[in-house]
Amino acid sequence: MDYDLTRIDYALCGITYPDALKILPVSEQKSQQKFVIGDKNGILQCMSIKDEEPVIHFKTLPGKSITSVQLASSSGNNVDKIFAASGNEVKGYTRKGKVFLSIETSVAETITSMCVFGSDLVLCSGRTVTFYRELQEVYCYLCDDRVLDAVAFATPNNNRVRLLVLIANKEAVIIENGSLYKRTYIAAGPTRITVPSCLHSTEVCAFYGGADGSIGLIFYEDPDLLNKCLVEGCGLGSVMCVGWFYTGAGTHLAVGRHDGSIQLYQINTDNLKEKPRLKFTYFSGEPVTSVYGGCIGTDEPELLVATFSGRIFGLRPRRLVSGNVPISNIKNGDAFVLRRSKLETEIARLEKQTASERDKYQRNTRSIFPGISAPPLLDIQFELSGATSNGWQEVKIICAVSLDMLFIYCQNKLEIQTDSAAVLSLCSAQDTEDTELLATIRCQAGTRRLWLRMRTLSLSETKLEGTRVFIYVLPAGAPRVARIIKLHLPTLPHYSKYESLEVENQNSSWCEVRVSGGFSVAEMTAWLAEAIPGELPRPASNVALARSHTILGTLLICRYQQIWSHIWQMVEPLIPGSPAIPGSGSGYGNGGARGVKNLRKRFRCQTRRLDLATYNARTLRTDEKVSRAGSSEQVALEYHRFI
Amino acid sequence: MQASTVQPVFKLELNHKVTPGIVTIAKYDGTHSCLTASAGYDKIIIHHPHGAIISGRAQRSQAHGEVSELNLSQAVIALAAGAIKPDCPRDMLLIGSPTQILAYDVHDNSDLFFKEAPDGVNVITVGHFGKHNERLVIVGGNSSVMALNWQGVEQFWNVVGGKVCSMVTFDFDKDGENELLIGCEDSYIRVLKNNQFIIELAETGPVICLSLISDVRFAYGLANGTIGIYEEGIRLWRVKSKQNSISLEWSGENLACCWANGRIDWRDGTGRVLRRVQMRSHAAAMLLADYRSVGASDLICVSDKGEVLGYPNTPENVSLTATSKRFPSEEDRVAITELLNKKQALLVELQHYEANSSSLTNKDMERPSTAMPTNTRLQVAIAADSEEKCLQLVVSTNNETIVRTALVLAEGIFDSGETLARHPQQTQLKSIMYIPLKPPRDVPVDVHIKALVGYADSEQFHIFEITKQLPRFSMYTIAPSRMKTQIASHVTFRITERVQRICIWINQNFLLDQEVELENEDTKDFNISFICLRDMSRLEMEYSGDGQVKFKTPDIRLAGDLIQSLAVYLNLTDLQVHNQPLLYNYLFG
Repeated sequence: MDYDLTRIDYALCGITYPDALKILPVSEQKSQQKFVIGDKNGILQCMSIKDEEPVIHFKTLPGKSITSVQLASSSGNNVDKIFAASGNEVKGYTRKGKVFLSIETSVAETITSMCVFGSDLVLCSGRTVTFYRELQEVYCYLCDDRVLDAVAFATPNNNRVRLLVLIANKEAVIIENGSLYKRTYIAAGPTRITVPSCLHSTEVCAFYGGADGSIGLIFYEDPDLLNKCLVEGCGLGSVMCVGWFYTGAGTHLAVGRHDGSIQLYQINTDNLKEKPRLKFTYFSGEPVTSVYGGCIGTDEPELLVATFSGRIFGLRPRRLVSGNVPISNIKNGDAFVLRRSKLETEIARLEKQTASERDKYQRNTRSIFPGISAPPLLDIQFELSGATSNGWQEVKIICAVSLDMLFIYCQNKLEIQTDSAAVLSLCSAQDTEDTELLATIRCQAGTRRLWLRMRTLSLSETKLEGTRVFIYVLPAGAPRVARIIKLHLPTLPHYSKYESLEVENQNSSWCEVRVSGGFSVAEMTAWLAEAIPGELPRPASNVALARSHTILGTLLICRYQQIWSHIWQMVEPLIPGSPAIPGSGSGYGNGGARGVKNLRKRFRCQTRRLDLATYNARTLRTDEKVSRAGSSEQVALEYHRFI
Repeated sequence: MQASTVQPVFKLELNHKVTPGIVTIAKYDGTHSCLTASAGYDKIIIHHPHGAIISGRAQRSQAHGEVSELNLSQAVIALAAGAIKPDCPRDMLLIGSPTQILAYDVHDNSDLFFKEAPDGVNVITVGHFGKHNERLVIVGGNSSVMALNWQGVEQFWNVVGGKVCSMVTFDFDKDGENELLIGCEDSYIRVLKNNQFIIELAETGPVICLSLISDVRFAYGLANGTIGIYEEGIRLWRVKSKQNSISLEWSGENLACCWANGRIDWRDGTGRVLRRVQMRSHAAAMLLADYRSVGASDLICVSDKGEVLGYPNTPENVSLTATSKRFPSEEDRVAITELLNKKQALLVELQHYEANSSSLTNKDMERPSTAMPTNTRLQVAIAADSEEKCLQLVVSTNNETIVRTALVLAEGIFDSGETLARHPQQTQLKSIMYIPLKPPRDVPVDVHIKALVGYADSEQFHIFEITKQLPRFSMYTIAPSRMKTQIASHVTFRITERVQRICIWINQNFLLDQEVELENEDTKDFNISFICLRDMSRLEMEYSGDGQVKFKTPDIRLAGDLIQSLAVYLNLTDLQVHNQPLLYNYLFG
């Protein structure tokens, strides 16, 4: 039977990042639990709920954005310690809010995810996983792509720690002692992992939520790291957070998604590989960043949820809400009326304050001594994915305030799709040539997230420098400002999967392009950034990267340093005889000259000494299926063939 | 945004598919309601839960014990029912096929009449109309309406401008007699009274639903997803959705709207959604009837898969208010959520002002990428452009800031979609921007403009919003005086009004650079000539002192629109108009 949970709003905070909310374990005296939440303003708050009203236990001052909050795992001696990561710093707080630890780590990028395991600390930032023991850096492991999440496991018979790490190139790896131990590829693209508490601490096994909305299990069965998809995505949004919810009825995996849905799945703890049973679904309307179960408002467990814009609310069994069952912490009508009137007076005060500020702002617009109106940037997050099998590139936009309209402009004609709840309207052309895209998207009231899919219409239109798309985001409320988002659709949108450089050693046929000239690494990076999707390594004296095609499986390897660069393209798919292109054979031998176009004028890294020619990689393969798959690869360099 | 749901009071399955829109509820025995629907091409199903055995042509359905099937040899286009037979409380079923209407007495298994409808059948409605004492069967065709009495004798007939999509009888002018409201495919709601159209309400899409609310209000739904309410000919509100409305009903104190995708929502007096439910499949119909025989009407929703859900007309929140004394109800929690929504929005706004004022204090800083001088103003003008054959909407700022992009939102005037956008190249950004508009029809249009103002390299722009109304005949501009061509076609009529009033009417309904003014008080004659920007055709208006008015134009539709507009302005109810070769040209040339 499905659960009947109902929403109770507790509090507001600033914008929250995934996994910035944690519920503290039960203390001895009380059965109700406290929780901590860190937000974008850098405020860490510890709260509990009394009569549905938040009671703040401690609150830090604003600072750098808090991107991850962790509690010390109970296996160590640091029970009830709170760790908050912001930027490259990690701070430790006691239950009372006292700072007992503050370290500035050496990681170059913002810490996106963190894991505390006994006296070990694991930080994920950018492409690195850094392992600290007793606050000393032990090792730093560089992954092929961005690190999304990590969990730690003890190893049997020694004190080493195994890390299960999720990487953005859809891989899960086990790192042990600073080196790669096992790896596996998961097509669903896992984004978050969590370990069920019923397991022995040495058993490597975790549930993941995928970018395609699916849920599965990663487990290590000697000698392989395996994975199993348990629940298909079913068109729901990508998973942003996972958590646990324990009730008398059993153990539940709570999942919060980008599309605002929250789901509870009952797990069979005796057989984790059994398909979890869906018990509850709720739509909150905005991206969910944290979801955990605990005894928050009453003595019985409920689900605590934080959203991107900073709403904190509980999902509580309906019978506890309607008050038919007498419970110890009885919340009577009076307390509720009090809370409501308190809230109403607060809003009235805020309204007055806002009205006076608005008035001040508007008076300013009429004054003869003009000042400057410079409202801060709207809080908008967006993410552009690599191309899918149909050539669509998806951008997900989330906004802290509700959206009114979006206006999309592109110099090239694009095909475009959006959410079914929003009204997409293509505008007529600005001039007679009609080569541009002008479109508006009108959102439903309260929309805070939106996806948009785009793909180039004609391949002949594809420019070497890629396609620039401008999205103007118009919010519904005051102040009336619109932020512009500039997107860049790369020329080779399919080469979005990161690979390790070891693939170079594979015995197969390659095309090679060698360029030498008076260019710098930064110039080369700038050029490649326009050609392939995703982030590139930072310019260094010597850069190498490997990517593979999401459909064909062909590889692209780039190595460059000052003055020279090599670009290899693999002719055959990664796995020989892969079903991606049945019967394609190796057709590299014919007609490379077809599709040659001189794009010298457009090529940025052009050098004085070098003759450049374009070579359309598609013509390497005579297979029709490849071109039908919509790949639009053009490599604008001279090529040699070598085996 | 937050809307609570509502539970149905009954649920049943017909086990038959239902064709959307062709559903009615009737009391064939005078007391018990029976749901009647088209279940495919020529099959009609009648659900009779109250046990009345239907005999005769109707056959008991195999799929459902309480459903009878009636097979016709022709496609069923429309269904209606009503007690049209005098002194008989029983409802008669009216079945519209593409070219015929059959009135059938289900209870007695007899045909009342059978009538050819040469203009086709789109909608059938039953009701009192005008001075007719008996209930009439009113049939909307492809370009006409026809009314029949219970014997199938034609009572009146009239031409309508377009295909009839919806009809309802309604006392529009509150004279105690019903008028007929006709929703047409050509985007007008027309009111027919005694064989004359007394008013035309211009809408922005084919009018597919009409529904009575009270003696002064009615609701309408358009094929472009708009629904709204009119009160005494003035629109109170409208909202637009992506879906099409199937049916609108006034339920309790709210407007219930059933959308094609199976969603039903209840809206309050301002159009805000209070509650909503989602059926398991697409919707076929929503009707108001006392199907439970409890003495009060329920809202009966039928899906295309044959699922029937009944919702109470007034939400049953009596029990909730009783308990709320002690325990907060669910509605109260929704209220808290709403309050927090409000608080959040206010906090965000306040934060923006605070950050803005803090950026003001350090002036020596470089200009931030979101900035704009506070005294920036946006000026908007509309001018006729006879070279480009359009109206030019001019948007400009009063300082060095640029108009990065401008969005124009209006309904029914753009070829594609609901917006027109201008986004100049990065190098061609100016503080002035021209936006061409070409309204295709002569109706007043509300134009909503959103202009994004900032600097060329800004990351964030200020939004300026302005709404302008284009007058009805905005596409006609004053002709240069040297042009003199003879227009043979004209309409003439006689009015007894001062010429000054005509001038005011012209100033209100045309877009003129300068208002038309008479040379002096004693002027009795008045001539003016216009050019249509669409095709450069001419329009001349002559007003002579004796009240003779002549409109010279080759376009009969324009002549009609002008007379209609002038008559409404001058409050004329009756006007004798003569047209010269216009109609002849229209019909034969």
